[in-house]
Amino acid sequence: MADHAVSAAMPQSVARADASGPSGPKPRHMFSRRNIFLYGTLIVVALYYLLPLYVMVVTSLKGMPEIRLGNIFSPPLEITFEPWVKAWSQACTGLNCDGLSRGFWNSVRITVPSVVLSIAIASVNGYALANWRFKGADTFFVILIVGAFIPYQVMIYPIVIILREIGLYGSLTGLVIVHSIFGMPILTLLFRNYFTSMPEELFRAARVDGAGFWGIYLRIMLPMSLPIFVVAVILQVTGIWNDFLFGVVYTRPDTYPMTVQLNNIVNSVQGVKEYNVNMAATILTGLVPLIVYFISGKLFVRGIAAGAVKG
Amino acid sequence: MAANGTSVSIQDLSLNFGAVSVLQTLNLDVAEGEFIVLLGPSGCGKSTLLNCIAGLLDISKGRIFIKGKNVTWEEPKDRGIGMVFQSYALYPQMTVEKNLSFGLRVAGVPKDDIAKRIARAAEILQIEPLLQRKPAALSGGQRQRVAIGRALVRDVDVFLFDEPLSNLDAKLRSELRVEIKLLHRKLQNTMIYVTHDQIEAMTLADRIAVMKGGVIQQLDAPQTIYNRPVNRFVAGFLGSPAMNFIEGQLEGGTPPMFRTGSVSIPLDRYAFDGAGNKGGACVFGIRPEHIAFGEAANAMPFATDAAVEIVEPMGSDTLVWTKLGGHNFSFRVEAEKTLRNGDPIRIGFDPARASLFDTQSGNRM
Repeated sequence: MADHAVSAAMPQSVARADASGPSGPKPRHMFSRRNIFLYGTLIVVALYYLLPLYVMVVTSLKGMPEIRLGNIFSPPLEITFEPWVKAWSQACTGLNCDGLSRGFWNSVRITVPSVVLSIAIASVNGYALANWRFKGADTFFVILIVGAFIPYQVMIYPIVIILREIGLYGSLTGLVIVHSIFGMPILTLLFRNYFTSMPEELFRAARVDGAGFWGIYLRIMLPMSLPIFVVAVILQVTGIWNDFLFGVVYTRPDTYPMTVQLNNIVNSVQGVKEYNVNMAATILTGLVPLIVYFISGKLFVRGIAAGAVKG
Repeated sequence: MAANGTSVSIQDLSLNFGAVSVLQTLNLDVAEGEFIVLLGPSGCGKSTLLNCIAGLLDISKGRIFIKGKNVTWEEPKDRGIGMVFQSYALYPQMTVEKNLSFGLRVAGVPKDDIAKRIARAAEILQIEPLLQRKPAALSGGQRQRVAIGRALVRDVDVFLFDEPLSNLDAKLRSELRVEIKLLHRKLQNTMIYVTHDQIEAMTLADRIAVMKGGVIQQLDAPQTIYNRPVNRFVAGFLGSPAMNFIEGQLEGGTPPMFRTGSVSIPLDRYAFDGAGNKGGACVFGIRPEHIAFGEAANAMPFATDAAVEIVEPMGSDTLVWTKLGGHNFSFRVEAEKTLRNGDPIRIGFDPARASLFDTQSGNRM
């Protein structure tokens, strides 16, 4: 009916017979001006960021005589893994000459408990703030957020004294506690906002079903919050692993984290500058956050996708 | 309706959020097995009241009894209630079966008992084929059925529904409405149902509580509320298309007359409420379906001539707009009637079916 009316109203129904006009999807050309600009820019930027990494990898695989030739962009003539071995197990920092391996294990022993502890506490904090509006919750939250804006440097010395008084100064435990506390404001904010965005009715339904504080947290909220936990892990692992300031202040030489040790290797003023060892040591130190990004990045995307279809 | 005792009793309940008073000394008694609908516009406090009954909100004053037990300070799980939410609130990471059994598992009910109860609920709601699916793989209607099932398995005395059909499309809504009615007939549980949809309220309720501003305006059987609304708000809220309201003056004498513009309507057949005819400014209300048209109009105690202004065909019937004493006035005719703008018509009605409201207070006269 409608069709008839339309074609009757038009003097010549737009020539159906004419098959030459545009029809179907608009064709796109691979080498259009837009594509050249877009991919050109992307390639240039990618090269700009990858070049330093290339130089580092190439240099770390060269022997010292080759480095002295000064061709930093040329690939190694003779590939050697000697610098990597040296960086890992022989490079000297101060009195110890067992390479970065010591710092690596120290960093692991600092990062793992700090990440677990801070995320465990902050997620419960965020959950309580979002769902159990206890008395003074807002005040507590404001104090916590203000804490996030106080510069670390202000608190370094008071914390040194506190740690000394409770006998944890210089120990890994002390550093773990410091990291956990400093991660608290931002992580709590992260979790609170995430839990607030979850449907309130879900929480109410769980209460009607008889689940309590921990029941709802462990059985309802936790399984739904994988994405935010992945974000928190990325944030904390990279933050704590890359930390230098707290590491150098709150530990002793034999408990130095990897970053501090790397600094001591690279900045040592005695003897020959072993560029290849320095490069290898730097890559080794940066490897952990890099791996975390690669693994959790994938999980992260999957987590978000899983969260998007929730009922 | 089995009127053997009170199931839910709310006594002098008040709720304040800071300085804002959401519910004010509210009293409500729900009989055993009764289907009560709390009806009102958004923000009237109906969902808040339901949450108070469920124990999800702490009240400021008053007491709540369920099955004769004072549950004012009880946790939601100890009140013997099951609740169905507007957004279904199914746990997304659990299968339908786990969703149904969650409350029972928390309560530590034995496994074979859980299985039995789930089987029964699944059968009643016809969701057996869905038990192993996740909520994401269900349609809206199926999700809401599961949500009802979650209340069903817990073997509760009182079902609370918080706008359960608002998220569904119109067709599904009318289907599930019938299912809920059937469910109520089968289970004979007390049900308290919150909605802003007057059709749901009219079709489902044994009694409707129309709420506004945290106060129950009228609590009565659907037909009574429809035919004898206690105030102008209730009259305007129920009925679609809405009741015609005409502002005018009430004059005493025999018979009492309602005057607006050049129109006078005799009210000798109108049953005045309580205080009787006080005279003064008032609003005359009559529903579009109570107006006779054409030949039938002459048989009515009041009839007048008018002209068609606009015609709104609705399929099943047609709504015609005209003017009465200078006020917009609509009435219903069969769909077959063909009327054109400007056609002269004769309309009439029986003032006994009308409602008179005091202009000042809005209360029925």
